[in-house]
Amino acid sequence: MDFWIIFSKLALLIFIAFTCVRTDISHISWVVFAILLYFCLNITLNIFKRISIKRILLLLSIGISITSYFEINSLFILLLPFALIELTADFFNKKIIILLISIVPIININEALQPLYGIVTIFCFMIFTIISVYGDRLIKNEEQMDSMRKTLQKMTKNLNENTEYIRQSEYTFKLEERNRISQEIHDKIGHSITGALFQMEAAKRLIETDKLKATELLQNAINISKDGIENIRLTLKNMKPPSEQVGIHRIKLMIDEFAAKHQFKTVLTHDGNLDIITPIQWKIIHENTIEALTNTMKYSNATLVSVELKVLNKMIRVEIKDNGSGADKIKKGLGIIGMEERTASLNGKIIVDGTRGFSVTTLLPIHS
Amino acid sequence: MNVLEIKNLTKKFSDFIAVDNMSLTVAEGEIFGFLGANGAGKSTTINMIAGLLRSNEGVINILGKNAAKNSRFAKMNIGMVPQDLAIYEDMTAYENVKFFAGLYGLRGQELNERVEEALEFVGLQDKHKSYPNSFSGGMKRRLNIACAIAHRPKLIIMDEPTVGIDPQSRNYILNSVRKLNEMGCTIIYTSHYMEEVEEICSRIAIIDHGKIIAEGTKEQLKSIITNTKDLWIEVKSTEKVNVESIKAINGVEAVQIDENLIKINSDTGVNNLNKIIEHFINSHLEIRSLQEKAPNLETVFLTLTGRNLRDQ
Repeated sequence: MDFWIIFSKLALLIFIAFTCVRTDISHISWVVFAILLYFCLNITLNIFKRISIKRILLLLSIGISITSYFEINSLFILLLPFALIELTADFFNKKIIILLISIVPIININEALQPLYGIVTIFCFMIFTIISVYGDRLIKNEEQMDSMRKTLQKMTKNLNENTEYIRQSEYTFKLEERNRISQEIHDKIGHSITGALFQMEAAKRLIETDKLKATELLQNAINISKDGIENIRLTLKNMKPPSEQVGIHRIKLMIDEFAAKHQFKTVLTHDGNLDIITPIQWKIIHENTIEALTNTMKYSNATLVSVELKVLNKMIRVEIKDNGSGADKIKKGLGIIGMEERTASLNGKIIVDGTRGFSVTTLLPIHS
Repeated sequence: MNVLEIKNLTKKFSDFIAVDNMSLTVAEGEIFGFLGANGAGKSTTINMIAGLLRSNEGVINILGKNAAKNSRFAKMNIGMVPQDLAIYEDMTAYENVKFFAGLYGLRGQELNERVEEALEFVGLQDKHKSYPNSFSGGMKRRLNIACAIAHRPKLIIMDEPTVGIDPQSRNYILNSVRKLNEMGCTIIYTSHYMEEVEEICSRIAIIDHGKIIAEGTKEQLKSIITNTKDLWIEVKSTEKVNVESIKAINGVEAVQIDENLIKINSDTGVNNLNKIIEHFINSHLEIRSLQEKAPNLETVFLTLTGRNLRDQ
């Protein structure tokens, strides 16, 4: 913007210089002095930021053009309009006033210069107006662009955050799913395979002496394995298990199955109002019972397992206890940790005790 | 304000998990009881609170500050009465207390005053110059307490302070626990004597296998098990007993007659003893004996864990 003003001033100066050279005037050195002085003032004008200094410089260049008009060469009056426009532009908003003020000196100058002065004034006024109009527009556009840039930045940030959030939740879902599957595999398929393995081991021993029994055991193992495969299918398809019998009957059924397949007796007792146990609590009781029974089968050499379900006033207590060898030191394996996590999800607690036989107690709070 | 906050505290001794993901808070002015069988993890927890043992996982905050990072601050505010006596047999009672108080940075006139104060508090002011080997078990326990309180800690931890002493000393100690509490101290009290815990503690945590399996006031803990109690009334003859009208008394849930015994099952939340006795008198039934069978903490412990407190 400043560039165009400087350029116009330069054009005016060149015009004056050429005219002076062509008319071959006597005191050329004074002309050069006035031109250089004007040049210097108008360059410094662009250096200072303070408005008061700018005004002083503008006043000075007005002074130079007027003095030079009288003392050196009348052409110097042509430098007046630009300085006047620049000076008055700060005080008046209406463009027409600026034009009038800068055109006023035309009355006082000599007649030969009047048309030229008029043209130059209009020319300067037009350049100035165009520059200021477009300058304003430019500033406005720049501001707009700035705010848009800021918005863009904000949006990008939001987008990044959202992407991160999605990534995180994907990760969490993956973990949860992986957890569920590993738990499922451990709880159901693992148990089936262990069961089948036991049956097959037994069959291997009996195959020479008692073929009939061995065949029966193998058939058992085949059945268990089939169930296991069905379980794998269900797990992988993420299908809900069919709604079986629920509650205490389901536990009873499972315990009886265990007793039928393995070499120990089971006893189930219950006490209190079973109706207040919620489905999710039954699920956890069921899963913990399976886990505890499997542990008993694997490690304990027990002959009797008792499952005791008590509904107290504010707590449900399930104890699965065997009369086997127990354990002095209990090492937390995947099984016990699984039970703990399941139970903790309902604010419950697990007590594992190996001092007299092995017992797993599940305590679940009742929320009324 | 919480004097003690424990979050997810875990302590393992190689494979054995002594304290298992324990979380609890003790507010200012409480007498907080740790109730559990031997080996349940009470002492391990206490030793970690006092900074004598390092935890494997978890955070302990004393008066809102992380105890591991501000161990000096934590120790200055804790008075520890250990289960095994921590007194020197070859120093007098006075010297013992002075020694321990000195460890906390007390000096000069203040030190002497505090030592006097502590000895007076436990009733050993006449035994200044005596050596602990002349003391009874109870007096040694009291001296042990004096050593822990001379620096006026905010939190006093007492680990089985009444093991193996005579009933008189035991009462003295229980009373001093109450007095310390009235003076503004928060107290953590462990015991496997259920009666003591029931008697003095404002809040109790039942600990088993390194876990808190239940927590709350006596009443809250008992209400986990049941909200009824049994009243057994023995009468001369049950001929005139009107079961229906007893059942009509507010709070009575069930009535059972067993020879000369009338067993009344009633809500613990309703105080109806007066009305029941009134009914018996008005019906001209002669009461021979009266027994209340309310659940105690022992029952709570037994029901939840399946074991007696003193089992091993």
